[in-house]
Amino acid sequence: MIKRLQQIAQWFDDRLHLTKLFESTAGHHVPKSSGSWFYVFGSGTLLCLMLQLVTGTCLAFVYVPSADEAYLTLEYLTYQQPLGWFLRALHYWGSNFMVGIMMLHMAQVFLFGAYKYPRELTWITGVLLMFVTLGLAFTGQVMRFDQDAYWGLGIGTAIMGRVPIIGSDLVHLMLAGPIIAGETLSRFFTLHVFILPGTILALIGVHLRLVLAKGINEYPKPGVVVKRETYDQEYEAIIKKEGVPFVPAAISKDLVFSALVMFAIFTCAAVFGPKGPKGFPDPTYIQTAPQPDFFFLWVYSVAALLPPYTETFVLLVGPVVATLALFALPFISNTGEKSARKRPIAVLTVVVSLLALSLLTWAGIRSPWSPEMTAWTSDSTPAAFLKGRSPLELQGALVLQYKQCRNCHSLDGIGGERGPDLSRIATRLTRDQLIRQVIQGGGNMPAYGKNLSPAEVEALVAFMLTLHPSNVPPVRDSTIPAQAAL
Amino acid sequence: MRFFCRENWGQQLRQATALVGLLTLVSGCDWMPGKPKPAERWQPDTAITDFANLYQTQCAGCHSRDGRMAAARPLNDPVYRAFVDPKIFRQVIAQGVPGTTMPAFAQSAGGLLTDAQIDILVQNLLAGAESDRATLRLPPYRAAPGDVQRGAVAFQTFCAKCHGKDGKGGPTGGSVVDPNYLALVSDQALRTAVVVGRVDLGMPDWRGYVSGRPMTDTEVSDVVAWLISHRKK
Amino acid sequence: MKPKSPSTPTKPCACEGTSRRGFFFKLGIGINVVAGSLLAVPIIGYVFSSFRRQAPGQWIPLGALDQFPAGTTRLATYRNPITRPWDGKTGDIPCWVRSMEGGKFQVFAINCAHLGCPVRWFEQSRLFLCPCHGGAYYEDGSRASGPPPRGLFEYEYKVEEGKLLVKGGFIPTLAQPLSKS
Repeated sequence: MIKRLQQIAQWFDDRLHLTKLFESTAGHHVPKSSGSWFYVFGSGTLLCLMLQLVTGTCLAFVYVPSADEAYLTLEYLTYQQPLGWFLRALHYWGSNFMVGIMMLHMAQVFLFGAYKYPRELTWITGVLLMFVTLGLAFTGQVMRFDQDAYWGLGIGTAIMGRVPIIGSDLVHLMLAGPIIAGETLSRFFTLHVFILPGTILALIGVHLRLVLAKGINEYPKPGVVVKRETYDQEYEAIIKKEGVPFVPAAISKDLVFSALVMFAIFTCAAVFGPKGPKGFPDPTYIQTAPQPDFFFLWVYSVAALLPPYTETFVLLVGPVVATLALFALPFISNTGEKSARKRPIAVLTVVVSLLALSLLTWAGIRSPWSPEMTAWTSDSTPAAFLKGRSPLELQGALVLQYKQCRNCHSLDGIGGERGPDLSRIATRLTRDQLIRQVIQGGGNMPAYGKNLSPAEVEALVAFMLTLHPSNVPPVRDSTIPAQAAL
Repeated sequence: MRFFCRENWGQQLRQATALVGLLTLVSGCDWMPGKPKPAERWQPDTAITDFANLYQTQCAGCHSRDGRMAAARPLNDPVYRAFVDPKIFRQVIAQGVPGTTMPAFAQSAGGLLTDAQIDILVQNLLAGAESDRATLRLPPYRAAPGDVQRGAVAFQTFCAKCHGKDGKGGPTGGSVVDPNYLALVSDQALRTAVVVGRVDLGMPDWRGYVSGRPMTDTEVSDVVAWLISHRKK
Repeated sequence: MKPKSPSTPTKPCACEGTSRRGFFFKLGIGINVVAGSLLAVPIIGYVFSSFRRQAPGQWIPLGALDQFPAGTTRLATYRNPITRPWDGKTGDIPCWVRSMEGGKFQVFAINCAHLGCPVRWFEQSRLFLCPCHGGAYYEDGSRASGPPPRGLFEYEYKVEEGKLLVKGGFIPTLAQPLSKS
């Protein structure tokens, strides 16, 4: 019986040459030192991609890429189709994990000097893969065709529109028409499910081919320097001396990590569920505050925090410079030390980039620069600021609400955070300074001069002058003698 | 170990069923915490019919979240509820009061609320006002201002204790003759303040200024006239 | 292809120049290039047809004048003149109409000049505020504060037969603002 089975297997192998294929691919010899926990991120990213392909295909059974109907199918998936919400959640969380693990993979490759001779092309295809992955993430955000997607496209349009000379052509190319509409969605759908996945699979083919052809990077040792003349022989010697077949000798940690990633994605999807969809993409419904998905929050922060005059330059030139730097990296530092222990600048680069990205993302989550559009009617004046106030001061508190001051200014931490909190404003500005600030604006505040009656200004300032803690006196104008000020 | 023998079939079938059931339970879990609830489904703001939500997003800013102390009059004061004319109350929400800090909320006036939503606000805010009105015997909501001279006298009787003899502020009440204050409030708001008071700020209503001696309808109108006379012309 | 006899180990390539095999290889490549171009031209033409742009800027009716009482700023919507049948709601475009005394108007695009988010009008403070990065504009559309590099995009308008018309039909950007601005 067993013998018969073996014969059948052999028959197939004679025709398919699977054993040979295995030896030259999964079974190829890798340095024993590469079977490390640091080397698991590449396969982790690949696993995420596989999961995305499966869940994405499943979603495509229901999803209709039509501007008119996409939202209906999203709602159907989320609330009616059995487990549709779970597939949406898996696809959403899978994309988050894919971008995250890909970034870890990149940082690891960078820190371990794996991009150096002779693996320059491996790095370059990796950079291309990163761009395609981010492209998939952005186009995927558009597939969830809700208000965020619509206005996210609007933001993309506005950035494209800043390109000199060909700006309006780029806008037209991106939107496939004069406005964000049906053909825009079709265009992004084609990118998201045909062009970019096709490109990513082809690139992965090249990436893996290069890994096989040029070998996996040995675990770098401080003091061992890459030289173009000798590296190939050295690597061959390592493989001869301590090479092990990738499967089954070096893959176990990848397997464990992959399983952990799957558990994590399952758990996130099950506990947190899918994102949105947030509102029918009706441009005439403007009670909306668009926010990009997690992995683009840092761009949103950059756009808010840059001084306006640098914005176009940074938004347009920054990505080009960053891309060129990434492509040039393996040629700039082609040889030399690989170990992170001997490459302080590399370590610093990673630490600074990581810090910058996380801080910008954190800022993007809080987005203190966004006004709270409903604060003026929904955020009450705290009672402590009303106790014992005169009728005029109470009117001032009302003017503060009525004129939408609360949309940007908080009282006791409640309200918008675009401008300073006003809870202790009287300890910082005198009556005259308050009036000037309100009337003339400045420092990112619009001038209210034309839009406030004298009585409204008087009431508002009278109220603000009461905003100081009982143990801290209001600030005093030093040009007026103390007696007179009281 | 032999898997497929006829004697074990029954038991294996049972095990298989249990296993399949368990897997279905784990992966077919439509009970997982992340499952979106139909109630969380997005709806446009114009579809909100929940009073608490409407009040919270549209009114709470000025009239306070809990109705205790607010910059503008808390709307849960039973005396005010009984005093106000429901028709005018609705109109004030819809159209606002020009020249004051009460904005218009109706879509037709540039606001965000539909007529149905304004009806929901009115119904809930004035719930129970009918029965209160019968027991309270309030002065009328609307009345022309009375006589300024008599108003000055009435002010001394009922108001000076807190707001000072000249109305410019006393021990517990601020100035009510400040021209800037008077420029920002309507005549009706002054009348409402005299009759209903401001419970949240410690100001009694028309019955409580002098204990056991409620203000008469004329006295209310006179005091209002006296206050108005301080407006900058 | 004819099976090669093992006794003649010639190079299996077409670089032999004048040989018959070489000629056929070149011919094969040649006719494939011709046939390929025959197919590629319409395909490329199809793809590029979507890049061809219809004349921007058409007069679009916003509605009767009495919808815009003097002294108010109201949201108006129009159907974009260039739409596809499956555009649904995305073909409806909002804009802000400021109606002034004396029958004068200003019509602003909804898109913030910073990054295109929808600005909202606040009647009370007479400001347009953007929910994204806090750009603010005065009632006449000029920049008040925040990151926008300019004022709101403004439509050219005209009044005909008691109707307000604006010239538009595309999403305004810094590269292609509306005709008036």
